[in-house]
Amino acid sequence: MKDIARQQMSIKVESMDMLNAQIQMEGKASASYLAMASWCDQRGYNGSADFMYAQAAEEREHMMKIFKFVNDCGGNAQSPEIENINHDFSSLEEVYETALSQEIDVTKSINRIVASAKKNSDFGVENFLQWFITEQLEEEKTMRDILDLFELMGRDGIALKLIDERISAE
Amino acid sequence: MERIYSTQYYTFFQSDKERCFYIDLGQKVVRLSFCQLLALRQKVWSINIENHFDDDFNPHGLEILSLCNKEHLFVLNTLEVLDLKELLTGSLFLLDIAAQTPSLTA
Repeated sequence: MKDIARQQMSIKVESMDMLNAQIQMEGKASASYLAMASWCDQRGYNGSADFMYAQAAEEREHMMKIFKFVNDCGGNAQSPEIENINHDFSSLEEVYETALSQEIDVTKSINRIVASAKKNSDFGVENFLQWFITEQLEEEKTMRDILDLFELMGRDGIALKLIDERISAE
Repeated sequence: MERIYSTQYYTFFQSDKERCFYIDLGQKVVRLSFCQLLALRQKVWSINIENHFDDDFNPHGLEILSLCNKEHLFVLNTLEVLDLKELLTGSLFLLDIAAQTPSLTA
């Protein structure tokens, strides 16, 4: 009996499911950054708003990268349904804390897929995700560096303005 | 055409010659390419069977399933949905393409 599945798709079905879940996660991250951009924009944190708009676009790029990969491998990429996006934040610092924990969740999820791909000898998927592992280290570092600014400069009005301008310059 | 797996209502076949699959759904036999099989799997996995037992969500316990780019349309009752889930679970396992229920639906 022919292995029709293998002839049609070069990755494992389990990897495809996990990558589809990752597409959903990246899509949600993009929408979440957009909500953060809106919050910053409305409160005059223009630097942070620009930063968040750029982050939203970047997450969408990540999503599309995985989406295309799944289809290129013969899989069935699923366009994500995004709901329950949080638009409420109590401070600029909370926005960045949320962003950092979101990035940590994405990193953990990528790691889980890599671990599963290794276990299933799905080396194409593992190889594809190497770029994301490096990217996630950078993303986490960026957010952590911004949160350090709050420790260094304080959380008062003028400090927030200076932090926001610094983020804009980065 | 080789029979892969049968359940109470349905039978799953593979055709090596045509490089595709067939499902005998009782009312008719449906031909599926591999990518159409993946799409069916996604649809069937995402059916929330608990809603079939909740009068508010699904008072009649029916599911409308369109297959192969809306070429076919089926109306299934709860038992038929469960049977179809079993058919796919067994068939995909025997074809060695079984995987956990997609986390997308979680």
